Amino acid sequence: MMRVSVRHTLRTAALACALGAVALAAPARAQEAPVPPKQNWSFNGPFGAFDMASVQRGFAVYQNVCSNCHSMNLLHYRDLAGIGLTPEQIKAVAASFTVPLGLDDQGQPIEGPALPSSQFRAPFPNEKAARAAMGGALPPDLSLIFNAREYHGDYIYALLTGYADPPADMKMQAGMHYNKYFPGHQIAMPQPLHGGDVSFPGNAPNTLDAEAHDVVNFLAWASNPEMTTRKQIGVRVVLFLALMTGLTYAVKRQIWSDAH
Amino acid sequence: MAGLHKSEFTNPVIRWVDTRMPVFTMMQKEYGSFPTPRNFNYFWNFGALAMVNLMIMIITGIFLAMNYAPNTAMAFDSVQRIMRDVNYGWLLRYVHQNGASMFFIVVYIHIFRGLYYGSYKYPRELLWMIGVVLLILMMATAFMGYVLPWGQMSYWGATVITNLFSAFPIVGDPIVTWLWGGFSVDNPTLNRFFSLHYLLPFVLVGVTFLHVVALHITGSNNPLGIDVKSPQDTLPFHPYYTIKDSVGICVYLMVFAALVFFAPNFLGDPNNFIPANPLQTPADIVPEWYFLPFYAILRSVPNKLGGVCMMFGSLLVLFVLPWLDTSKVRSARFRPLYRPFIFVLVVSVVILGMVGAHRPEGIWVVLGRVCTAYYFLHFLVLLPIIGKFERPLPLPESISKPVLGGGGGPLPAGAAAKPMEKA
Amino acid sequence: MDAASGAAVAPAVGSEQARTDRRDFLRMVTGAGAAIGAGAIAWPFIDYMNPSEDVIAAGAAIDVDLSKVEPGQQITILWRGRPILVVNRTKAALETLQEPGLVGRLADPASTVHQQPPYAQNWHRSIKPEFAVLVGICTHLGCLPKYLPTPDPTTPEANWPGGYFCPCHGSKYDLAGRVYKSVPAPYNLPVPPYRFSGDQKLRIGENPPGATFDLASVVQM
Repeated sequence: MMRVSVRHTLRTAALACALGAVALAAPARAQEAPVPPKQNWSFNGPFGAFDMASVQRGFAVYQNVCSNCHSMNLLHYRDLAGIGLTPEQIKAVAASFTVPLGLDDQGQPIEGPALPSSQFRAPFPNEKAARAAMGGALPPDLSLIFNAREYHGDYIYALLTGYADPPADMKMQAGMHYNKYFPGHQIAMPQPLHGGDVSFPGNAPNTLDAEAHDVVNFLAWASNPEMTTRKQIGVRVVLFLALMTGLTYAVKRQIWSDAH
Repeated sequence: MAGLHKSEFTNPVIRWVDTRMPVFTMMQKEYGSFPTPRNFNYFWNFGALAMVNLMIMIITGIFLAMNYAPNTAMAFDSVQRIMRDVNYGWLLRYVHQNGASMFFIVVYIHIFRGLYYGSYKYPRELLWMIGVVLLILMMATAFMGYVLPWGQMSYWGATVITNLFSAFPIVGDPIVTWLWGGFSVDNPTLNRFFSLHYLLPFVLVGVTFLHVVALHITGSNNPLGIDVKSPQDTLPFHPYYTIKDSVGICVYLMVFAALVFFAPNFLGDPNNFIPANPLQTPADIVPEWYFLPFYAILRSVPNKLGGVCMMFGSLLVLFVLPWLDTSKVRSARFRPLYRPFIFVLVVSVVILGMVGAHRPEGIWVVLGRVCTAYYFLHFLVLLPIIGKFERPLPLPESISKPVLGGGGGPLPAGAAAKPMEKA
Repeated sequence: MDAASGAAVAPAVGSEQARTDRRDFLRMVTGAGAAIGAGAIAWPFIDYMNPSEDVIAAGAAIDVDLSKVEPGQQITILWRGRPILVVNRTKAALETLQEPGLVGRLADPASTVHQQPPYAQNWHRSIKPEFAVLVGICTHLGCLPKYLPTPDPTTPEANWPGGYFCPCHGSKYDLAGRVYKSVPAPYNLPVPPYRFSGDQKLRIGENPPGATFDLASVVQM
């Protein structure tokens, strides 16, 4: 019979708090922009999953609006099977983009319709070309943007919907735009979405709010395509381990019953 | 023929091997019948957990290395390929990444056990020092491993920490250039970090073997801190502690699984999802959480060399701990004057962790200096003094005295030597 | 368990035997759980080493435009790391393939050994006689045979009608990839899965609708 003294319990609790405090303390950042308000995302929580219809709409927004400036080099067209596109749809989507396709017999670079195995078409061939076209600013690659920002989906949603007129006392630099949630409040990207930018199949709503939600869902998927599977496996693993903990503890009590 | 071992096993295959190389006899002696104090609490699980964790890191690491490219042009993308295209690549990567955090959680608790119960005191001083070597090897391995994904934090963390060595006069700059293999952290650095990161875990395995050898010569400590007096004080390691360790492993795996499957990037830094860019420094350069207290100690001294010395000193002071503590009593359970100070130490280290995560401004500077001061005060001043003046509580006669019942085998060699109970 | 009678006798509840049975059952269940857990852990490591998504995508079917291949010309396409030979066979070349003088020199003229898909098990070992599609790897020890389509009275052997000659150990094949008798190579050159996606377009790596054939099933690559 394990004697659990008050001392012991307190000590354990103190350690737990210590670990929790260190963990919570870890992501401390400079306060240069307000913390974005919390949104409801279908992928949050231990049973979270992607709303694939929304993710597909978000891909449409990326395709039509964002991909004019932002690359997503870590994604290939075949990855779209993960958001529910059929092989024929993937072929069609890929073929609608013209991408570099290697060299011809004279050793000159050629272009042609993308294949499912091709990377997403990048708007610019390299960083220098991007900066030249964007007045010196580099539109970041969006493959991992959801993970690369501290508040993830809440931040991206707040950014997309956070454009406003600058306050009277703020001096905007040339070519910059005011955004409530961008650190420093001056962002080179002009407001990309206004609502009604893309028409969705089935007349799904395309207000700014709806489009921003869809884009976040798509970017969340792009950064973590394995998330739904991961959480499903996780539930089973944790339940199995809880069962094994109970079983091994019962065997332990049995074995130890003659030792006390 | 001289030298053949007389095996006690009956199975013919096992007997054949055992006669020529007594591994089975050794396993039976060291992990089967090994007399282990009967009064362990669950704090004594953490050594076994550390061993399991090391195995997990080595196996996942070897598989990850099948797909990782240690070249600055390909490293980041190769990790993403593992995450997206390789079957179960995301699982092995997250297990390896969070396994590092779990390793430090387990080892920090293991160290706390040592501090609280006086496991570093006679005759286990060498065991403790080997443990400090293990901690330093772990920290080196983790540091180099974090550089490999070649994200922003990988690159800038490597730059900051390798630059520290330039603090040493005369030899500092040549050492840094030598570490880098160039004029800054770049491809040669990444390549050699990969080679060493692959090597060090096997050094860890070897030193762990020494750690267990040292432990088995002296026998384990126990929550009462008093020596084993008779076989009645002990139980055979198997089945009592094999099953108890199994329970611990299940709980440990549950915590591990919760991290891996539901919050795999919770302990990480978002900046490391951005490929390394030597032309852009992140707003805040922060090491992983398990290095934060040391980072805070480093920054608490305004002088660069002073900070470096204090940071290394915080580890070196652990080496001499067995000689700093003058108490004749091992376990803090019987040291009412000393016990609160251990908790102050833990709180100090936690606060140092928070300090390390924040920019060095305002209250955090004060807290960092106060807690750094307390850390060294604790080891260098309090431990020697308290041991001299403390009136410890009366120690029990023996481990098994309150409990009737037998069990256990012959005493391990050396355990019945000088008992430590004089007040 | 009553060993003498051989019949299982349920022990009285609460008895020493019942306690032992419960204990053994509990340990058995726990052991089984641990074994299941270990097996479940093993699978991701094994599957990790299987071909990854990008490798499978890179090995997908390849389109070949035949309009640029002149009669008598051979082009080589790399598919799944192997050279695939595509030949536009002339009328004259096709005629030699059926001559008894050649057929008598071949080890497996009817392609009885499984080295080709069912739709290539004919005298020209292809879908359309004009186009040969062969895996250009000698079935002896893996060298790449040379394309020698021109008939020659002496080289590489007497009355050479045109075909393939492997420089490593001298194996010979005809223009349908059928191996000669008495050479080191034992089997005909393999034929990969392929289909015509258009009159002048080949798709290497896919079977025609209704056919199933896996290149890995051939006797000798």
